[in-house]
Amino acid sequence: MKIAGNATLPFPPERAYDLMQDPAVIAKAIPGCEKLEKTGDNEYSLKMKMVLASLSGAFDGKVRLTEPDRPNSFRMVVEGSGKIGFMKGDGLLKLTPNDAGTEVSYEGEAQIGGTMAAVGNRMIDMTARMLIKRFFDKLAAEK
Amino acid sequence: MATTITKVDKLVGKRIRRKEDPRLITGTATYVEDITRPDMQHAVIVRSPHGAARIKGIDISKAAALPGVTAVFIGKDITGVGSVVCAADLPGLRRPVHHILAQSRVYLVGHPVAVVVACNRYIAADAADLVEVDYEVTQAVTDPEKALAPGAPAVHPEWPDNKAFVYHQTGGDIDKAFADADVIVRQRIVSQRLVPNAMETRGVVAEWLQAERSLTMYTSTQIPHLARTILAGQLGIDENRFRLVAPEVGGGFGSKLNVYAEEALMGFITMKTGKPVKWIESRRENFLCTIHGRGHVDYFEIAAKKDGAILGLRLKLIQDLGAFHQLLTPAIPTLSVLMMPGLYNFRNIDADVIGVFTNCVPTDAYRGAGRPEATHGIERMVDMLAAELKMDPAVIRFKNFVQPDQFPFPTATGLNYDSGDYGATLQKAMDLIGYDDLRKQQAEARAAGRLMGIGISTYGELCAFGPSPATPAGGWESATVKIEPTGKVTVLTGTSPHGQGQETSFAQIAADELGVPMDDIIVLHGDTSIVQYGIGTFGSRNTAVGGPALYYALQDLKEKIRKFGRMLLEADDVVFENGVCTDPKTGKEVSIQTIAGAAYRALKLPPDTDPGLVATKFWEPSNFAFPFGAHIVVSEVDRDTGEIAIKRYMAVDDIGNQLNPLLVDGQLHGGAAQGLGQALWEHGIYDDNGQLVTGEFMDYVMPRARMMPWIESSHTVTPSPVNPLGVKGVGEAGTIGSTPAMVNSVVDALSPLGIRHVDMPLTPEKVWKIVNGATA
Amino acid sequence: MIANEFEYTAPASLDEALALIAGGAKPLAGGMSLIPMMKLRLAAPEHLVDLARLKELNYIREEDGEIHIGAASTHYDVESSPLLLGKCPLMAETAAYIGDIQVRNMGTLGGSVAHADPAADYPAALQALDANIVLRSSTGIRTLPASEFFIDTFTTAIEPGEIVAEVIVPVELGLTGTSYQKFLQPASGFAIVGIAARVHQQGGAIDMIRIGVTGLSGSSYRAANVEAVLNGKQPTDETIRAAAALVGQGIDASADLHASAEYRKHLATVYTVKAIQAALARSA
Repeated sequence: MKIAGNATLPFPPERAYDLMQDPAVIAKAIPGCEKLEKTGDNEYSLKMKMVLASLSGAFDGKVRLTEPDRPNSFRMVVEGSGKIGFMKGDGLLKLTPNDAGTEVSYEGEAQIGGTMAAVGNRMIDMTARMLIKRFFDKLAAEK
Repeated sequence: MATTITKVDKLVGKRIRRKEDPRLITGTATYVEDITRPDMQHAVIVRSPHGAARIKGIDISKAAALPGVTAVFIGKDITGVGSVVCAADLPGLRRPVHHILAQSRVYLVGHPVAVVVACNRYIAADAADLVEVDYEVTQAVTDPEKALAPGAPAVHPEWPDNKAFVYHQTGGDIDKAFADADVIVRQRIVSQRLVPNAMETRGVVAEWLQAERSLTMYTSTQIPHLARTILAGQLGIDENRFRLVAPEVGGGFGSKLNVYAEEALMGFITMKTGKPVKWIESRRENFLCTIHGRGHVDYFEIAAKKDGAILGLRLKLIQDLGAFHQLLTPAIPTLSVLMMPGLYNFRNIDADVIGVFTNCVPTDAYRGAGRPEATHGIERMVDMLAAELKMDPAVIRFKNFVQPDQFPFPTATGLNYDSGDYGATLQKAMDLIGYDDLRKQQAEARAAGRLMGIGISTYGELCAFGPSPATPAGGWESATVKIEPTGKVTVLTGTSPHGQGQETSFAQIAADELGVPMDDIIVLHGDTSIVQYGIGTFGSRNTAVGGPALYYALQDLKEKIRKFGRMLLEADDVVFENGVCTDPKTGKEVSIQTIAGAAYRALKLPPDTDPGLVATKFWEPSNFAFPFGAHIVVSEVDRDTGEIAIKRYMAVDDIGNQLNPLLVDGQLHGGAAQGLGQALWEHGIYDDNGQLVTGEFMDYVMPRARMMPWIESSHTVTPSPVNPLGVKGVGEAGTIGSTPAMVNSVVDALSPLGIRHVDMPLTPEKVWKIVNGATA
Repeated sequence: MIANEFEYTAPASLDEALALIAGGAKPLAGGMSLIPMMKLRLAAPEHLVDLARLKELNYIREEDGEIHIGAASTHYDVESSPLLLGKCPLMAETAAYIGDIQVRNMGTLGGSVAHADPAADYPAALQALDANIVLRSSTGIRTLPASEFFIDTFTTAIEPGEIVAEVIVPVELGLTGTSYQKFLQPASGFAIVGIAARVHQQGGAIDMIRIGVTGLSGSSYRAANVEAVLNGKQPTDETIRAAAALVGQGIDASADLHASAEYRKHLATVYTVKAIQAALARSA
């Protein structure tokens, strides 16, 4: 499922970029993240718990940051699997300065599989948007 | 003893309510789920969530340790069980070994990996959650054209080109036809993957008795005897010690014309544990693991003269087979080739079929099984040809039909159409709907900017399978008729009805022939211990093949009844009618009930005659049957939303003689619903990772009653010369005729915008984008 | 399709229910959203507290120009209530679009509101009605307007221990016309877009207009920009279309295989026109 959208961060692109590459910051920003550990160059193992309405489940997975082009763009891949299914988000993030700070536009693919997929195709877009929004809201709070 | 003689009205041909319905409506029918056996265990299957993966390891320790769990089995535990059987054969067919539980790899989402057996279904579900499988996910491919592209992931590592077979069939001189043509129209046409979604999912109860070496299996199937033979082979047990029962079956539509891994698996479990076991498929499993229908990408080319005479048809058919072959998977597209000429008399065809492996559930027979795809193709091509030549789509059809004096008509694909008057049927449909007036209305609508469409499909159908040499397991059918000492009648049919209504229509036949009330007749089926070997129910064959078997068995019985009548009346000859033998000379009578009593009491027997009143017939048809029809759909497209409104639906179908018009209506309405489902709503969509995106009713659009148009229905009757009842078969005809009529109607509605083809399903957004894009 | 094991209590009173919920038990009303999730094992609450039959939550009554609807009222109760049909018909009309007959016999207003499905029908009506949501817990009671109650996808202002106890809607002024128009997702029946319109005219001009939107994005909202164009104006086809064209402005529209974001926004415009025109026809 293709997803695309944008968010605004209240700092200039360089800071926004550095924050999004910082594992300590990412660990706080990823919704439900319980643990993020470096496993390689720009690769981290992820433990998170996702709650959406009455659906809740724990996920193990990884986060990879690739295609670095500071401060203009980079690619982020987040994947996780758990009892309730698995999900993967792969997006290219582009940063451009604006009056409020930085506009981050993202474009990519979101997939889910396993039991979670049984609740309906609309969940992919909904869940992805919600998680992305929470991610950027938490990031924006980093002052 | 005096008996009341009543004159019984002829029942064949009457609209009679079904004997099946009272138990179905009151919830007292017995389905597989209703069957319980003492100490019965429950099985839950653990399935792959990935479309393609290596299994690195499976840890069943936690599951096996849960109290109440009887056993947990994985692939390596399955010994002594053969793989899933494919009965189809094609030259050079590549056959992947289809184990009943995955071994080292999984090939589709839903692939069974482990099975948990517990004392109740709750503990089984909890234990299934505790099975841990370590997968190494590999790249899947789910689109058949992508699977054929160089560099595509190999579904089966041994065949990196993902081709299961190539099949070529030719007739006449196709090159000359195309060389002589004034006009050639080409189109890629998709008949998308569909999920059959019978109301009852699959299910199995299996019970092994070691002392008897006997297996009893209840399974929701359309082919009880064939399944028994096949499963006996898989399990290595004696066929005659294996009782297989199809209890009440809640619909099949071809998806239960099959033998599945789960059936053998339950047999294995009960033999291994010594306890009865039940497995009931969830709806989600049904979406993922029961066969799908259709799955064609077809490239058609039609060649014609500028006066509209069709010279030839080329077809490149890419068949999405799925990851494995189920019972008939590779054979289904060959049926499309057989029907590619439709009702038209052109003699030149050329077909290339490529069967492609994908990481999806296998495709197999689903209502129409290859014929809807072919009919959709030829009917779309004829409409496109008509548009190209600026001819009315009805006129071009009349011009190309096989004519009444050309029957039996040998087609370019090797069939022999038995009988028909295609022009009369189309004309009737046009007259009933007021075709000329509709075209006038359409002109007015178009002038006002409205998108109104009129779509025709004239379909032929190949059914009543069929002459045995042309089938994979025999195409005959059987019937036994038993008249008990009290004159009550039991019919045992080798067909396996699951909604078709033969308990009613076969009782009508027997009532007419024997002159006993319908209420004195019962029709049994589906139990291999009770009913003689039969082929089963599929391919619209119950009435056209099962019916004559019954009819001839009844004739044998009537012969014997007359012998007893002559003896009891001491007459040279008797007339047997309305349940009574009469001596025409004296007017003396004796009833069938008295004859039955005498036949069993055997105080005196006629010369060369055994006691008893039972007859069995195995009947081999000399040909398929070929119903046909014309469907016309009037539709309107909403420019604002792309929604399609069906304004009128006219169906004129010729299915030969009709035993029970009420049952015929039911079949045609249901068939039309499924055909409209393909045209407008349904699509089994896999993503590139093998996930079935439309895997539940939240996303898979099933036809609902509120979405259906009012179906105006009429008939012509061209009896089949192949059987004494003159019947052709009706189960799949409605599905075949409806799809192209609907799509032709919408393309006609959009044609002022320059549109010449749209692929199914015609979703609102798809249509809106066309309207929007075309007028932007 | 078998849920994990759970405890089930049908309490005799609301106080008993609230005490259990304060202790962590999960409320169950119609179960139309929760039970399917439990059967898929995507939700596994340990203790369910059944609110469906509590007298304290089952009522529809008028008080001081408002109608108070108990949270355990089923959609069928709302759809068929003579009080609502007469004095707040938008609620009854909206309820009639939910699911199917079986769902409407079981599903409840409170359960639906608490669930805050982005494609549910009630939120459009509740936004347009400026409805109030009453929340109760074992420690207190508070009331929020719908616009503050619905926050995001499946996210409301409910705090742990609270349940939706009541929904309060206005008694419509005499000649207010209302309508709910919905484009159904053809498989699930959820709203791809659902538009609730309320309109009141005086002297040929609109003097009150409210537009509630559901289905288009992650949360329901009032389309204030559409209202602003039409408020105080004479409603002509042209002005209605111009106003409706703004309904999705600035909104991050959802997408799925049944409707792209672009198509969804287009439908929102089409259905806003339909809803306004239908409401106007009823306001004469």
